Amino acid sequence: MKREKGNVFVIPAIIWIFTFTIFPLVYSFRVSISRISYGKITGFAGLSNYVRMFGDYRFWGTLRFTLIFVSISVVATTFLGLGLALVFNRKMRGLKVFRSLLTMPLFTAPVALGYLGVMMFYEENGPVNVLLKYLGMGKVPWLSHPWWATLAVCMVDVWQWTPFAFIILLAGLQSISDEIYEAAVIDTSSGWTVFRYVTLPLISPVLGTVLMLRLVDAFKIFDVPFSLTSGGPGTATRTLTFYIYTQGLRNFDLGYASAMAYFLLAITMMIGMLFFRRYRELYE
Amino acid sequence: MRKMSLVLSVLVILSLLFSFSLVWAQEGASELEIKTADAAFEAADKGNPDPAWKGQKLTIGVYSAGPRGAISGPLYFWRPYFEKLTGATYDIVEIPFAELREKIFTDLMTGTGTYDIIVGPSWFYGDYISNDWIVPSDKYLNDPRMPKWEPASILPPLQELYSWGGKWVGFNNDHDGQVLYYRRDILNDPKWQEEFKKETGKDMPVPPKTWDEVYEITKFFHGKDWNGDGEPDYGITMHLKVAGQGFFHFMALSAPYVVAPAPGDDPNKVTRYHNVYWFDPETMEPLVNTPGFVEALNMLLKLSKTGPSAMWGWSLGEAWDAFLRGKAVICFSWGDVGSLSQLPDQSSIKGKLGVAPIPGSEKYYDLETKQWVEKRNFVANTVGASWHGVISKFSKNQDLAAYFLSWQATPPINHWNVVWGWTGVDPGTLYDLLQPTGKSTIEEYVATGYEAEDAKQFVNAYEEMWYKYPLKQSYLRIPGTPEMWEIWDIHLSEAVTGQVTPEEALNRTAEDWNAIIDRLGREQLKKIYQEAIGYKPE
Amino acid sequence: MSKKRHRIVETLLWIVVVIVVLWVVSPFYWAVITSFKKPADVFRLSSIPWVQFRPTLNNWQTEFNQRGPEITRGLLNSVTIAIGASVFAVFLGSLAGYGLARHRYTKWRNQSMSFWFLSQRFLPPAATVIPFFLLMKSLKLLDTQIALILVNTTFVMPFAVLIMRDMFKELPVELEEAAWVDGCSRWQSFVRIALPLAAPALVATVIICFAFAWNEFLFALVLTYKKASPMTVVIAGTEHTQGVQFWYVSTRLLLAIIPPTILALTVQKYIVRGLTMGAVKG
Repeated sequence: MKREKGNVFVIPAIIWIFTFTIFPLVYSFRVSISRISYGKITGFAGLSNYVRMFGDYRFWGTLRFTLIFVSISVVATTFLGLGLALVFNRKMRGLKVFRSLLTMPLFTAPVALGYLGVMMFYEENGPVNVLLKYLGMGKVPWLSHPWWATLAVCMVDVWQWTPFAFIILLAGLQSISDEIYEAAVIDTSSGWTVFRYVTLPLISPVLGTVLMLRLVDAFKIFDVPFSLTSGGPGTATRTLTFYIYTQGLRNFDLGYASAMAYFLLAITMMIGMLFFRRYRELYE
Repeated sequence: MRKMSLVLSVLVILSLLFSFSLVWAQEGASELEIKTADAAFEAADKGNPDPAWKGQKLTIGVYSAGPRGAISGPLYFWRPYFEKLTGATYDIVEIPFAELREKIFTDLMTGTGTYDIIVGPSWFYGDYISNDWIVPSDKYLNDPRMPKWEPASILPPLQELYSWGGKWVGFNNDHDGQVLYYRRDILNDPKWQEEFKKETGKDMPVPPKTWDEVYEITKFFHGKDWNGDGEPDYGITMHLKVAGQGFFHFMALSAPYVVAPAPGDDPNKVTRYHNVYWFDPETMEPLVNTPGFVEALNMLLKLSKTGPSAMWGWSLGEAWDAFLRGKAVICFSWGDVGSLSQLPDQSSIKGKLGVAPIPGSEKYYDLETKQWVEKRNFVANTVGASWHGVISKFSKNQDLAAYFLSWQATPPINHWNVVWGWTGVDPGTLYDLLQPTGKSTIEEYVATGYEAEDAKQFVNAYEEMWYKYPLKQSYLRIPGTPEMWEIWDIHLSEAVTGQVTPEEALNRTAEDWNAIIDRLGREQLKKIYQEAIGYKPE
Repeated sequence: MSKKRHRIVETLLWIVVVIVVLWVVSPFYWAVITSFKKPADVFRLSSIPWVQFRPTLNNWQTEFNQRGPEITRGLLNSVTIAIGASVFAVFLGSLAGYGLARHRYTKWRNQSMSFWFLSQRFLPPAATVIPFFLLMKSLKLLDTQIALILVNTTFVMPFAVLIMRDMFKELPVELEEAAWVDGCSRWQSFVRIALPLAAPALVATVIICFAFAWNEFLFALVLTYKKASPMTVVIAGTEHTQGVQFWYVSTRLLLAIIPPTILALTVQKYIVRGLTMGAVKG
C-alpha cells in the first residue's frame, strides 16, 4: 500500500485553514492587545481590553441573552425535531414531498426572516397575535417587551432550524434496523420503554451531533436580532456577535471588539471539546 | 418527482412574468413633475461648467432608498439634467442606512476615495472636521464656474449645520427638525371639544403649545374610538424601537426643559450654563443626567402611555403608518410626515392634517442657579440628519463635485425637491416659506398634490419654529457622536420599556459618554465642541 | 393494533402534517401577500387578497423597473459567490476527506484531525470578521466577489471535509487497491475511481455549501459596498430613514429564495443525504 502519499491530500485544506482562519485569529489577537485609533494601531494596550470586558455590564448582558437564546432555541429545535421524527418514522405516502417542503426554511435568508418577523409579530392585529386572539389569548407585546422579544427571536430561529433537526434525526431513526424494534416490542409493551432503552441509545450519536451543530450555530446568531429587533428593547435581544459587530465595525473600537470575539471563541471551542470527548468514536 | 418540481417551478416563474407583462403600468416621473423640473432647470443658475469635465464621472455615496426614495431619489431624477449640462455623469452608490457610518468612515479612514461626494447626515461633521476629511464649500462660493446658491436663505438654526467656525462647509439640500402633527378635523371638532371640557374641565388647547398640553390631549383621546372604525384608537404614536431613531424624539422633547436663555440683551448668547444642551463646555461633563433631562424623560414616559404599547418596538415606518392611517391623533416628527400624508397610497388623512411647531415646556432648569424657572420656554430643534452633500478630500474631481452640489443647492432646484414630497427633501429655506416671510406660494405646493390647508399648516409650522422661536437647540458635532447617540438610544429604550428607571438610564448614559470622551481624548473633544457650538471661554 | 385505533392514529398523523405544513408555509404566504399590498395595507389586518385588500402589482413593477439592475446584480453576485465558494470548498474538502478516509496518520490521529476540521465550524464569525476586514482592506479586495468567495469557502469547508470523508469511507477500498496493483498512482485512483463513485455526495455537498453561502449576511455586510453585494445585503437595503419598506423585503425575499429552492427541489434526495451524512453512519 502506498500509504505515505495519502498525506498530500489533506495539505491544501490545512494550508487554507491556516491562511484564512489561524492567521486572522493571530492577527485578531494582536489587535486585541493594541490601542487603535481610526483603524490604525497606535500603541500597546496590554490586557486592558480584556479587563474592560469584565467590568462592562453591557458585555454581560449580551452574554446572558446569548446564553438564554442558545438554550431555548437549541432545546426547542432538538425536541420538536425529535418529536416530529418519531411521528414520521414510518412508511407513508408523500413523506418525500413533506420532507422537501421542510427543507425550504433552511434556504431562506435569516436576515429577510427577521424583517418578515416584524410583520408577523406586529402587535396590533399582526397575524400571530390574531391567531392567538382566536385561541383566546390577549395581545402579546412581541417586540416591545424584553422577554417576549427574546421569545420572538427564538421562534424565528426555531422555525428555521427545526426542519434541519427533523431531517437528520429522521434519517438516524430510519437507519435503525427493524429487527431490533421487533425484538424489543415482543419483550415489552410500553412505547416509552422501547424509546428510552432501545431508540434513544441507538440514535444518541446522531442526537449528539444535532445538538452540537445547533449549539455552535446558535452561538453565532446575528442576522435575526439585527433585522427583527435591532437588539432591543434596550439591549434585551442583543447577541454577543451583534455587540462585537457594533463595537468593532460601527464604532471602530477594534481592540475591545477583538477581545470579546476571543471570549466567544473560547466558549464555542469549549462546547466543541466537550462534545468531542463524548463522541470521539464518531470521528474514527 | 424531480422533473415534476422542475417543470412546476419553471411554470410558476413563467406565469408570474407573463402576468406582469400584461399589467405593466408606468410608474415613475409624472408629466407634471417633468414639466416643473424642466422649468426649475431653466430657472436655476448654471454657472460656467468647465468643458474639460465632459466625459468624467463622479461617485456619490448616499443611503439606500432607491430611485424614488427619500434623498437618493432626487439624485436619480436629476442625473439626465446634469449630463445635459456638463457632459459628465455620476454613479450613485446606495449604502444601507445601518451601514452608512461603517462604509463611509472606512473609505475616508483609508483615504480610498471611492466617493467623491458623500450625501450624509450632519452628525458626521465631528469626524469629518477633526480628521480633515472634507473640502469646505466655502472655497467655491465665489468661484465663477459654480452655480450661485444662497446659503443665507437657509433658516438661521439650520445654517449652523451647514457651517463650521463661521465658514460654509456643506451644500444646501435637506432640512430636518421635528414638529407636531395632529388631526385638524378631530381636534377642531366641537363634539370632541365639548367632551374634552366635560372630562377635564378645561378647553382643549388647539394646537397644544406645551408638552403638558399635548399630554392632556393624547390622554383624552387614547383608547377612544374617535375615528369611528369600531376599535379603540391611539392618542400619540412614536417610534421608540432601538435603532428606530427614538432618541430624536427625546432630543426634540427635552430641548425646552434643558436649554436656558442667557440673561442680558441677547438670550441666544452661548455661555457655560445657557444655550448649552450637550455638555458643560468647560469640563465636557455630560448634561444628560441633569434635572431638565430627567423631567423630560418622565414626560416622554407619560406620553408613551397614551399610545399603543407596541410603539416601544416600532421604528419610523410603523409609527408614521399609524398616524397616516388615521389611528393616532398626534405625532411629532420630521417634515416627511407632512409630505407622506399627501400620498394616497400611504395615507388616509389628506386634508385633515394640522401642524404646529414643536411644543415648549412650562418650566426650564437653570444650570447656573441649579433651580427650576417656572416660565414657558420654546426651543427650536434641528434634530435629524439634514442630509446634504460634502466633498471628500480624497476625491480626484473636487471641482466637478462642487459644481454638482452647488447646482443642486440653487434655489429653483432645491425648492423643486422640497415641494415634491417623495424626494424626502424637507423645507427649511426662505424660498420654501410662504409669502410674506418667504418667497413661495401655496399654489406651488398644491400643484404637486398637497391639500392647500395641509400645506399651509405644514410650512407655517416650520416657519414659526425656525424663524420665530427665541431659542434653538445646538446640534452635536464632535467625533464619537454616532456612538454616543447609539448608547443614548439604548438607554432610553431601556427606560421606556421599564427595564431601568429614568434617572438610572440617564446616569448610565452620562457614565458611558464620559468613558467615550476619555477614550477619544477629553481635551481634544472639548476644543471641537466649543468650536461647534460657538462657545468662547471667558 | 385494531383497525379503529389505526384509523385514529392515521387521522392524528394527518393533523400533525397539516399543522406542520401550515407552520412552515405561513411566513412564505405572508411574504407573498405583502408583496402585493399597498404600503398602507401592510400593517392592516388583511390576509385574503381581493376580499380584505386590493392587491397591487406596484411593488413588483417598481422592483423590476427601477431597481432591476441592482437586484439582478445582487442575484448574480449571490450565485457567483455561492457557486465559487461551494466549488472551492468541495474541491478542498474531497481531497482532505479522501486523505482522512484512506490514510492512517500517525503524528496526529485521524479522529483529532477530522475534529480539527469540524472545529472550524465552531469558529464564531465575529472572531474573524475584524481581521478579515482589515486583511481584505490591505489586499484591496473589499467589495469584490473574491473576498466573499474566500470567506464562504472557509466557512463551509469543514462541512465538505466531513461529508466527503464519510462518503469515501463507505466506498469499498478494494476497487482502488486493484487499480494500484495495475500501477495507478494514488492520485489517479482518486480521480478515476473514487471521485466518480462519490458523485452523489459531491452534489449534495455542493448544494449544502451553496445554501450556507447563499444566506451568509454578516461578512457580506462588512466586506461589500455595492459592486459585490449579494442578495442578503440587498434585502437589508430596504431599511432606510423612512423605515423598513416591508413590501420590498417581501419581493426580495421571494426572489432570493427561488434559486436555492429550485436547486433543492430538483436534487432533493441528495440534500437529505448531504445533511445527514456526517451525522448518521451508514
